[in-house]
Amino acid sequence: MSEPLELSKKYQHMVTQCSRCGFCRAVCPIFDITKNWATNAGGKMVLIKEILDGKIEPSEGIAKSLLCCTTCMNCTTNCPSGVDPPEVIRATRKDMVNLGYDNMFKAMSDVIAKTGNIYGEKEKYDWGHKHERAPYVLFVGCVGTYREEESVEETINLLDILGVKFTMIDEVCCSGVLEDVGYQAHKNLAKHNIDEFHRTGVKAIITTCPYCYRVFKNHPFYNGLNLELQHITQFLAKHDFKVKTDKKVTYHDPCDLGRHAGIYEEPRQIIRKIAPNFVEPERTRENAMCCGAGGGFRGSSPKESITIARTRLRKIMEETGAEILLTECPSCLHNFRNAKLRRWNIEIYNITEFIGKLYKEMDVRKNVAA
Amino acid sequence: MEIEGYNFPEGLYYEKNHFWARVEGDLVVMGMNDYAQLMSGEVVYVALPPIGKKLTQGKSFAKVESGKWLGKIYAVVSGELAEVNEELEENAKLINDDPFGKGWMFKIKPENMDELDNLMTDPEEIREWLNAEIAEHGVAS
Repeated sequence: MSEPLELSKKYQHMVTQCSRCGFCRAVCPIFDITKNWATNAGGKMVLIKEILDGKIEPSEGIAKSLLCCTTCMNCTTNCPSGVDPPEVIRATRKDMVNLGYDNMFKAMSDVIAKTGNIYGEKEKYDWGHKHERAPYVLFVGCVGTYREEESVEETINLLDILGVKFTMIDEVCCSGVLEDVGYQAHKNLAKHNIDEFHRTGVKAIITTCPYCYRVFKNHPFYNGLNLELQHITQFLAKHDFKVKTDKKVTYHDPCDLGRHAGIYEEPRQIIRKIAPNFVEPERTRENAMCCGAGGGFRGSSPKESITIARTRLRKIMEETGAEILLTECPSCLHNFRNAKLRRWNIEIYNITEFIGKLYKEMDVRKNVAA
Repeated sequence: MEIEGYNFPEGLYYEKNHFWARVEGDLVVMGMNDYAQLMSGEVVYVALPPIGKKLTQGKSFAKVESGKWLGKIYAVVSGELAEVNEELEENAKLINDDPFGKGWMFKIKPENMDELDNLMTDPEEIREWLNAEIAEHGVAS
């Protein structure tokens, strides 16, 4: 029999490195709601090892089990054996697709190729802000463009207030998510974005989406970018703001921004400037629990994904008593907003959206006073 | 009544963005029709705007989301949002399970009940409109 999986030696070694201690269970957002070992990292390492050893055959069930991972990396951070399960899982998902186990994301790959976005939306809100030349380009990604438009609008409003000279481009999906779910990113879409960036003569790209940030930074298709890249929290960390809130504020570290990109300080630097009453959740920074939206899990298991966000949100509320939850990731924002119950007394914003809103409120107060 | 294999209960009003309306006392109840709930797949989220929100017939005022689709919700009549189905917050699938019953979405205090006359009740008119929708969007798989 030919090898069922083509995992590289590096990943095969990682699988054998797993000591099956189960420490990953306590930090896995999916295990947290299922209590099913096959849905967390250790369980998957066992399944993959048994396939590699020829003890079990790949199957539809295993392909589905492999989709139960948000690639949040909390297991990686907490693994005493140094295993990086999301990397192994991503590679195995590709093998399973190559073996013919279509995991529903083939359709998404086709939709991205056809429409340039993950949702297959045909119409896009136009925020204007299209200039021939500018020092910065603001890239907002699919979730911001098609699911959290109002948040993006406030972010744009904030950049305008701060006098940032930026342009927006005819952006298409970075398509990096396809690499998480067993498929390949689309090179022609990357080329489109790169051409657009260069056409405007920008010196730096500012992304609101930490996932797009990671793709631009790490994916080989974007190697020719040769432009400075900043997540919007990095860009704004140096700025001062003329607004503050007295409300109790907390912050959720997006996995793509924190564990994946190592950006923990900048969001906090911004928040401390505008919210003196800032409190951290118990599980925070590199130990922050995932909102449940990543790694294709929101697409493959939307109901469970929202349940994870609701669990995380409930914990944050209990632990902090905060009135405002801030984050800076359109996917986290969208999932938390979907998960929030009406009776819960908490408002959820991206940091930049919240500051934009504070400026608007200040203007209203000034107008009333005048 | 069944039209092209989809359930369109008699006595309801149907509008062309795939929502139904029913008079309940001085309120108008609305929800998603059978074709739309089947086409969208399992509904996972419905935005429930604040009570008192002003609505205009035919204008969108909220969003509904399934795993593969996000749609707008359009007001069946103009008026004020009087009640939302809070059960949908934790069990949006009620829209799939019982679209004309427990899966109701909103109750509106209408400005003018006569606006219901703008909606469809005639089976032949509904059939003609539905066939055009099926031709454009296909049938639920």
